[in-house]
Amino acid sequence: MISESRRRFMKSAGALVAGGAVVGCTADSGSEAIPDPESDVVAGSGPPNFPFRGNHQAGVTAPAASSGLVAGLDVRAASSEELADVLGTLGQSIEQLVSGEPYEDRDGGFPPLDTGILGTPPVGTGTSVVVGYGASLFDDRFGLAGQKPAELLEMPKFANDFLVQPERSHGDLSITISSDSGEATVHAFRQIMRETRGALVPRWMKEGFNQLVPEQTHGRAPARNLLGFKDGTSNLDTDDDETMAASVWVGPDDDQSQWTTGGTYQAVRVIRMMVEFWDRTRLNEQEGLIGRHRASGAPLGLDDETDEPVFEDLESHIARANPRSSGSEKNLILRRGFNYASGFDANDQLDQGLIFVSYQRSLEDGFIAVQRRLDGEALEEYVRPLGGGFFFVPPPPADGAALGEPLFS
Amino acid sequence: MGTKGGRRRLGARAAVVVAVLALLATACGGDDGVDVNSVEESDASSSASGSESGSASGSEADAAAEDDTATDEEGDVEEESGSASGISEEEVAQTTENPLIQDAVDGYRVYVQEQISDMQAETKVFADAVRDGDIEATKAAYPVSRRPWERIEPIAGLIEDIDGAVDAREDDFDGPEDPNFTGWHKIEWYTWDQGDLTEAGPFADQLEADLQTLADTAETLDLAPGVLTVGAQELIEEVAAPDGKLSGEEDRYSGTDLYDFKANVEGSEALVDLLAPVLEEADPELLTAVESSFDELNGQLEVFGSFEAGYVHYDEVTEDQRGELAATLGGLAESLSLLNGALGLE
Repeated sequence: MISESRRRFMKSAGALVAGGAVVGCTADSGSEAIPDPESDVVAGSGPPNFPFRGNHQAGVTAPAASSGLVAGLDVRAASSEELADVLGTLGQSIEQLVSGEPYEDRDGGFPPLDTGILGTPPVGTGTSVVVGYGASLFDDRFGLAGQKPAELLEMPKFANDFLVQPERSHGDLSITISSDSGEATVHAFRQIMRETRGALVPRWMKEGFNQLVPEQTHGRAPARNLLGFKDGTSNLDTDDDETMAASVWVGPDDDQSQWTTGGTYQAVRVIRMMVEFWDRTRLNEQEGLIGRHRASGAPLGLDDETDEPVFEDLESHIARANPRSSGSEKNLILRRGFNYASGFDANDQLDQGLIFVSYQRSLEDGFIAVQRRLDGEALEEYVRPLGGGFFFVPPPPADGAALGEPLFS
Repeated sequence: MGTKGGRRRLGARAAVVVAVLALLATACGGDDGVDVNSVEESDASSSASGSESGSASGSEADAAAEDDTATDEEGDVEEESGSASGISEEEVAQTTENPLIQDAVDGYRVYVQEQISDMQAETKVFADAVRDGDIEATKAAYPVSRRPWERIEPIAGLIEDIDGAVDAREDDFDGPEDPNFTGWHKIEWYTWDQGDLTEAGPFADQLEADLQTLADTAETLDLAPGVLTVGAQELIEEVAAPDGKLSGEEDRYSGTDLYDFKANVEGSEALVDLLAPVLEEADPELLTAVESSFDELNGQLEVFGSFEAGYVHYDEVTEDQRGELAATLGGLAESLSLLNGALGLE
């Protein structure tokens, strides 16, 4: 039983690597008498998952998803050997999960390996998992200081960050899950947590969602945020390899730590929105603060969402975030956020907002530069960052290698 | 949970990682080089899984417990006490053909008898202090008298009504003054919250009488092998539960939760010790992982005291320290959840 499961697992893992982008490769593979290894990638029906191995972590460039979760976790390990084991286990857990392969069916005297949330066999759920390393992973515990990505640092406090607390920020690792359903997201996180229990401890987490537009096309926002505005209109085109190489992926000459090539920096910000206040704000004021018309998403004074904005001043949110000025193209970032709604606070005010997630080739040129421009913006009155963190998303493990292996060589 | 301080760890946990890897290897053929033959063998040696699977699922067990719960006249459902053990005799593996497991069952019967004997002796000291109205002596005897009970809590679920009678909390009643609220925690409330034992005497009498019922019934108990495997896990689940020791809910008036905590751990360890010879054959890596987790947990608990020197008030255990304890308990519980299957029990 085990050897069969192992064989199938390794086979599908190989297929994931060989296939590169597995997305969309399943539809025509069911007619063969001998199953195509690639058809094993996605069991059941539903959108395929995103493979863990490849040139880059596929979840970074996966399309906006309707459900997501971001967590900061701490590692409990006494040595670099133990850390290597933990990371290896984490990588295997993710790989099994996104392979879509059924978990081994153990004897009933054991608890089942699969939580069963997605049924058995599980259906494809468009699931991707992104792993990031926090700056603290490179502190004195594991002797990895020399391997630290050049720009990785613990997220500093920005101008409006007075509610940001350490207990809901940072972490040795980040895990970011996207999928097409809340159940699939929960399933993914539970599988990963149970398989690393005792070794990985959640420090903070936030679950989110997006109401996606039916057809996601570049240049139009895939969803609205909880301020009611389209969010992600001028996001980077993930299908454009040049853009991704310029703005998202760390290049071979960027960092003396060669293992970082093909990785990316992740910035996470859990940003609460003062929604009661916002909902009492005049539409003209709202649109002026954002810099777009609420209904159409068009830049102020223009007609269509895709129209290029012309800024008279750099006061609105979109102008500060991306002034479209000479030189500002190097500050472009890839945004992959989720809305969140987490009940209400002690003052009976709704706790809702945005789980902002961005990926960038350089933290300094990317998120930090953008945030410095946003510091002091008028919109700050309506938003309060609560937590988050900076992480480095390593390239996936090479074929046959374990997650984290390059750190220890 | 974890801050920088919270990341520090106290014992070796390599074996836990090995166990996780072994689990994964079983699950998905992970390329980690861990030998999973032992797991495979135990799979092979286990009989076909019947409908009465040895599920340790709390919800199943709780549901089963609710089914045969008697509701008293006031409508209080006594067995829903938060501290009730989840084991029900019908839910666990009934038989084994493995003589080593039978040895463990026999050994556990002896252990249970010893604990009940200690429980009665130590509770007499406690009850006498209550009847004497001696607050300080009562405070000293309270956590001591509870230790044997906490060590053998898995069998509480096998004896009707006993848990609700001796170990219920005020939450199951109309507040602490409800006359139907009896047992240790009732007296704990009189002692620490009220500082007055004038009315506590009858509850001490009742506690002793209930424990005599426990002792009488336990002699006739037919212990199934599954009680041992599931019991070892449930004792740890009991500590980690949101209304268990980790949260400080159990001994809310006295803050003596660490005595219960340690006793639960000892009870689980005793079961693993009894099962060690058979586990050594079935899955030595799992045994190593479990023992390593116990070492780590005991190392963490030592920081707070000992039975001999006394434990600190549970309020002194910081959030970070509770997070560390929770992490170790979580890893341990995952390993313990594999005992039943690893031993080929259904």
